[in-house]
Amino acid sequence: MQWSLSFLLFCFLAVVHALSSSGNRLLVVLEDAAEKDLYFTFWSDLEARGYDLVFQSPKSDQLSLFDLGERAYDHLLLLPPRSKGFGPSLSPKNIVDFLNKDGNVLLALSGKSTTPSAISSLLLELDLHLATDRSSVVVDHFNYDTLSATDKHDVLLLQRPGQLRPDTKAYFDGEGVLALPNAAPHTLGDNSLVAPILRAPATAYSYNPKEDVGAVEEVWATGSQLALVSAMQTRSSSRFTLLGSVESLQDKWFSATVKTPGDGKETTTANQEFAKQLTAWTFKETGVLKVGKIEHHLAKDDLTSEDLNPTIYRIKNETVFNIEVSEYSYDKFVPFEVPANDALQLEFTMLSPFHRLKLEPSSRTENSTIYSAQFTVPDQHGIFSFRVNYKRPFLTNIEEKHEVTVRHYAHNEYPRSWKISGGWVWIAGLWSVIGGFLAFVFVWLYSEPTSAKVKKTQ
Amino acid sequence: MAESPLDVLLKGNSGRTTRGLLRFIILATIAAAAVSSRLFSVIRFESIIHEFDPWFNFRATKYLVQHGFESFWDWFDDRTWHPLGRVTGGTLYPGLMVTSGVIYHVLRFLTIPVDIRNICVLLAPGFSGLTALAMYFLTCEMTTSPSAGLLAAAFMGIVPGYISRSVAGSYDNEAIAIFLLVFTFFLWIKAVKNGSIMWGALAALFYGYMVSAWGGYVFITNLIPLHVFVLLCMGRYSSRIYISYTTWYALGTLASMQIPFVGFLPIRNSDHMSALGVFGLIQLVAFADFVRGFIPGKHFQRLLTTMIIVVFGVAFVGLVVLTVSGVIAPWSGRFYSLWDTGYAKIHIPIIASVSEHQPTAWPAFFFDLNFLIWLFPAGVYMCFRDLKDEHVFVIIYSVLASYFAGVMVRLMLTLTPIVCVAAALALSTILDTYVFATNGPNPRAKANEDTSSEGLRSARKPDVGITSYFSKTVMTSSVVVYLLLFVAHCTWVTSNAYSSPSVVLASRMPDGSQHIIDDYREAYYWLRQNTAHNAKIMSWWDYGYQIGGMADRPTLVDNNTWNNTHIATVGKAMSSREEVSYPILRQHDVDYVLVVFGGLLGYSGDDINKFLWMVRIAEGIWPDEVKERDFFTARGEYRVDDGATPTMRNSLMYKMSYHNFNSMFQPGQAVDRVRGSRLPAEGPQLSTLEEAFTSENWIIRIYKVKDLDNLGRDHNTAVAFDKGNKRKRATKRKGPRVLRTE
Repeated sequence: MQWSLSFLLFCFLAVVHALSSSGNRLLVVLEDAAEKDLYFTFWSDLEARGYDLVFQSPKSDQLSLFDLGERAYDHLLLLPPRSKGFGPSLSPKNIVDFLNKDGNVLLALSGKSTTPSAISSLLLELDLHLATDRSSVVVDHFNYDTLSATDKHDVLLLQRPGQLRPDTKAYFDGEGVLALPNAAPHTLGDNSLVAPILRAPATAYSYNPKEDVGAVEEVWATGSQLALVSAMQTRSSSRFTLLGSVESLQDKWFSATVKTPGDGKETTTANQEFAKQLTAWTFKETGVLKVGKIEHHLAKDDLTSEDLNPTIYRIKNETVFNIEVSEYSYDKFVPFEVPANDALQLEFTMLSPFHRLKLEPSSRTENSTIYSAQFTVPDQHGIFSFRVNYKRPFLTNIEEKHEVTVRHYAHNEYPRSWKISGGWVWIAGLWSVIGGFLAFVFVWLYSEPTSAKVKKTQ
Repeated sequence: MAESPLDVLLKGNSGRTTRGLLRFIILATIAAAAVSSRLFSVIRFESIIHEFDPWFNFRATKYLVQHGFESFWDWFDDRTWHPLGRVTGGTLYPGLMVTSGVIYHVLRFLTIPVDIRNICVLLAPGFSGLTALAMYFLTCEMTTSPSAGLLAAAFMGIVPGYISRSVAGSYDNEAIAIFLLVFTFFLWIKAVKNGSIMWGALAALFYGYMVSAWGGYVFITNLIPLHVFVLLCMGRYSSRIYISYTTWYALGTLASMQIPFVGFLPIRNSDHMSALGVFGLIQLVAFADFVRGFIPGKHFQRLLTTMIIVVFGVAFVGLVVLTVSGVIAPWSGRFYSLWDTGYAKIHIPIIASVSEHQPTAWPAFFFDLNFLIWLFPAGVYMCFRDLKDEHVFVIIYSVLASYFAGVMVRLMLTLTPIVCVAAALALSTILDTYVFATNGPNPRAKANEDTSSEGLRSARKPDVGITSYFSKTVMTSSVVVYLLLFVAHCTWVTSNAYSSPSVVLASRMPDGSQHIIDDYREAYYWLRQNTAHNAKIMSWWDYGYQIGGMADRPTLVDNNTWNNTHIATVGKAMSSREEVSYPILRQHDVDYVLVVFGGLLGYSGDDINKFLWMVRIAEGIWPDEVKERDFFTARGEYRVDDGATPTMRNSLMYKMSYHNFNSMFQPGQAVDRVRGSRLPAEGPQLSTLEEAFTSENWIIRIYKVKDLDNLGRDHNTAVAFDKGNKRKRATKRKGPRVLRTE
């Protein structure tokens, strides 16, 4: 009975987790129910990928991110509020708590309305900074859509982003042009958990349409200092994405025809594909790493199950470490491949690393790669740990730490004295003294002196 | 014991057997008294291991019993000194644990199932009975009067100076070491007297046992050669001394080198060089003695002088060269502090920080030895009257041990045996003089002549006897009164000063009933039951052994203090700001920090009072980062109230001690009862640690080290955000804006 129940539960969970690796309960916070229809394609895309969408107004009484102290939803999608903020149940503290409990958040802003200060202070905690007036839009006179924004130049046309760094994977690349109307810009702080997904072009700048001053007095940030879409991944690997332009998710822009000012060729936007990539990443359908079994043992041929993962090694042991890593890609785990310019590393650490070794892929299963390294335990006893610390933008963190004890040589593990050729001199000396003493005693006892003197030997 | 003179009287006309039986009964009674007077703590509290070091010994014994001797020998302890670990099997004196282990297995073999804890608790009282016996043998070698031996045994059985280290539960090396010390000396005296290889070899054997049991064996290693050296200087060279010393040195050194912790020290360490030197010297003297038989006197004199000069010159140069080149280890710091009491305070704060390494206060002598201390010089004087080889030994021992006991409190323990010997000699002489003189031709003197020693015959000649009944009565009764006072004093001291387990604090309620303060165990059991088995606990080193023993959790530092840098690291973490401490805690995988705080109860042995030692030890390693001066106010006061320095108030130790302390009092009324000072109205704020546990009387406070902030903020910001403080907009940074390139 219990077994079948748990089997049922397992099947149920398997169905539930068919898509995102971390649940499918998605709360969409939308202030104006009428706006819902503007994003019809976007919602149906998400539903088609297995999400249970719950629409709530920020004013609603039933809106709560938590139920009995646990997360009530797995993911949160916030559309920009019309009023001064999201209200008490979506205070910055609640959203931070939601992130700390491994919920994922996608926050979309719009340059059309002033962003509430509550959101600004939330973003500040994540080290994402909005402009001081919180109502700027990004304008670019070289990369705008000539069809829809002939005057205002506030519909940016951008190529889809490629690799962020040579050592990261590209999760948002592809063919096509993105159209970002009324994008609210932001800048990134020094926090290493924050990574930009899409930056503004070098010719863009931030402009506040509500101020009629022609020249900007104090430049806050310009060009590619401005980010349009950014990602923050917490240390526990929950994800927060900030999208500057909520309009880009609307049906209207999913398949709009646009034209750049330069060569003037008309193309269709790739917004729908980009929105899919963005939500897939935020809601943990891509870039999710899973560590399978970790094994370490002495380097020898006939391994039994007792030899695996011992708690104690000896100094100068030859040791093998294996780690199994798989990556989740939309609906299944696939073998994880380290990007070309990057390496998965193993550290053997006591206070500081004694070894830092590249883990090489040694074998591959259907949905995982096994990385391994072999090394000699250093000549230092203590409590060491095998550590794999792999933290890259857009990939969930791998932080594995396995403590083992490295002991000294036991008293009977040293080579015996006669095996050390340098010790032969001393051994010879020792035995010659013993032999000489015995010979002396023998001679002394059996060479009776001629005179009958009684000798005291003591 | 008060009955001894009476016993002697009764024995007067009995046969040898009766006297032997009586002596046996008396010794058995003394042993029983010695054992039972040490059981106060077991009766009052429970059968529990006391103090600090015994907890480690207990833990090691459990390991030995559980895993067997081989793995105990190779024991690498990964639950202390995290993350360095400790090669425990090679860095301890195994004698104590092996002794208990053997007793445990013997009892098991006899199908008496006794818990190993009870064996450990009762080992010290058990061995104190043996010590009394050994003391009887040793004193009997010094004099012909058997009452001296019985008196010495009785003194040794109950003298507080020895009880201080051997009450039930005080499972420390000294518990068996004092017995071994006394017994080795007895065997040595026996060997010197008889010039016998057997007694010399037995002395070496027990010396080997002593080496395996206590670091204080160095005392024997130096005292016996000194004895021989003095005898040589007195022109008392004889083949007896040659035989006993060479036998003892050769076998004893070999025996001591079998202990892994000692290893090659006997031939490399300066502390052991005197034994080696005297060994060489006695060979030369023997050779000279041999040569004297062949060479006429005048030539011999010249030869002797040249030889002495050459040998000393060569030996001295050799010693200096070897010491400078590092073959012979230089004197250890503890050794220097024996000669210069200020040395440790300046150079090795870790040694000076231990209270038992402080110089002795003079009342301690009376407290620990009572009237024995003024009988002691008299006894030494008695030895001068009849200066045989063994009396020379007593004199040397007395001089050396008196000096050492004056320098270090804990060395009172080595002084105690010789005080008992000397006092018993003096007292038995007094009693013999005043009690026996009336019996005319003195039957006891006759009996003694039978038993061959010519010891104190002069003192017992009938013509110097006291015949007045008045003076006899006065003398005898005053001695009896002194003895009674001594027993009362010993019982009182044992009961009041030395029987508290220090794990459990006892106090009196206003109505006189006893109130037990059990915060230590409460906290240690909390750790044991509520934290992960591998959670690393950081505390000051005093509590390391107890955490390891009672809470069974890995610690960073403990009472072994082998690694000064590691202790200084803990000291630095305790005495620095949170921003500095936190990375240290992270690097050492610390999960919990434990502090002892007595401010609520008025418990003065807490960490704030020990804090300056942490600062000093840390300053020894990081003089630029931790400065003792910063913890004192401009007027040089050590304060915790409003006047405390910013360094003090920001130190982790201060914050942990006084965290939330204000909430116990009316606003602004918080008072630290130890320091007697009113605390600042606003308590300290902790951001990198959170309070996990505080014991009933706040003596132990345990803090959990927070993980890094999930959003990558620093802890101050995160705490401020959680409290609802609005964060200021990112202030303008100095210098040009940094453009993120990726």
